[in-house]
Amino acid sequence: MELSESVQIGLRSFADPSCLDHTVFPALVDASFRSLLSAHGDPGVLDQPELQHIDRVLLKQSHAAAATFILEATKHNADRSTISSCLEELNFSAERIEIFYNTYQTHKKELARLLASIGKRAPHVNDVSWRLQYHIKNGQVDKVNEPSYLISLNTENEGSSEDVNFTCTMEQLQDLVGKLKDAAKSVEKASQM
Amino acid sequence: MLVSTKTSSRSSSSGENLLTALCQWLIPWSPFEKVVAEFGRIALEFLRRGSSPKIYEAAARKLCVPVDMVQHGVEGLMFLMTESSKHMISEVDFLDSVLDLGFGDELHQILVQLYLQHKRPIRSILSQVPSTLPAYQNLEWRLDVQLASRSIRQQVIPTLTMRLLLTRGCDGGSSRVLQTDPSTLLHLISTLEVALAAMKTSHSRRILRNIK
Repeated sequence: MELSESVQIGLRSFADPSCLDHTVFPALVDASFRSLLSAHGDPGVLDQPELQHIDRVLLKQSHAAAATFILEATKHNADRSTISSCLEELNFSAERIEIFYNTYQTHKKELARLLASIGKRAPHVNDVSWRLQYHIKNGQVDKVNEPSYLISLNTENEGSSEDVNFTCTMEQLQDLVGKLKDAAKSVEKASQM
Repeated sequence: MLVSTKTSSRSSSSGENLLTALCQWLIPWSPFEKVVAEFGRIALEFLRRGSSPKIYEAAARKLCVPVDMVQHGVEGLMFLMTESSKHMISEVDFLDSVLDLGFGDELHQILVQLYLQHKRPIRSILSQVPSTLPAYQNLEWRLDVQLASRSIRQQVIPTLTMRLLLTRGCDGGSSRVLQTDPSTLLHLISTLEVALAAMKTSHSRRILRNIK
């Protein structure tokens, strides 16, 4: 993990007991993780009572450095020894490394999921609804008398949802389901490799 | 006139005008059955692709008649064919309807043949008109596993990427690229299987059998 000068400075003050004492340290570690996990970055994350008496500049520097470190560690899926050696170099005590690592372990999975969701992708299908109807006649044609399905795929893309609607006959729906089943079989086979 | 009695009042008045035009147009040409058959073909082509003033002009030049006359004639034929196909009237009823127009026997037979040959394609064209929703055509799929991205390395995220091909009316198709995860895929399959099973219930079968 490569850390820039400013991140290293921020982490050194984070590690320093004369800057952040033992009650402030866990509160700030917790706030740093929470700020990454909360939707749209909660602006009040540094407003807790434990952090009120700390110099705001020092607090923000430490917070920014910790957040960067957490993201880098998650990005590279850093293990315990990597994190420990990295923090030791920045003068973290064993006790502080332990607190940091435990919190990291708690949130790692959720953070990784969040990071994996960043980036452009096709709309994601979450659900499907259907309706079966019997088409009898319309303005153009009499005596149609054909059953048909209305299918609505509920998709989600970058937080906004959209329905993809289409009609199909029973044969077409059988074709669609057949293809989805083929795909499911491939997924199963691939997962056994 | 069987055709016009079955239509709504609005379309029947314009329809009658068109049929009058058809009579005026066909009577001088009635000895030329081939010409009528050819114009029947043009009428069907127009139903499929929309009308083209160029073809009217070319035909009018060939026959040395005003463009209006050709246009009204073809429109009359189109109306006759679409209305008859819409109600799926029998051969006898169709003949009864065109007898009123007072053409020669041979021309009546040509019109009947034209109707019998083309009522299925016309119905399939008509059935595409009202659907505002696109219809399923095909689904292409690909299984991907996301391994890494800018924001995070070492991932294993299986993803099914799908291209859903849809058709809309007569004008070509469209396609949508979508994706889903394996557990949602299984959910989609089971939900759609329930949909397919709904067709086989006694409730659905009773409705399908009784409304004919």
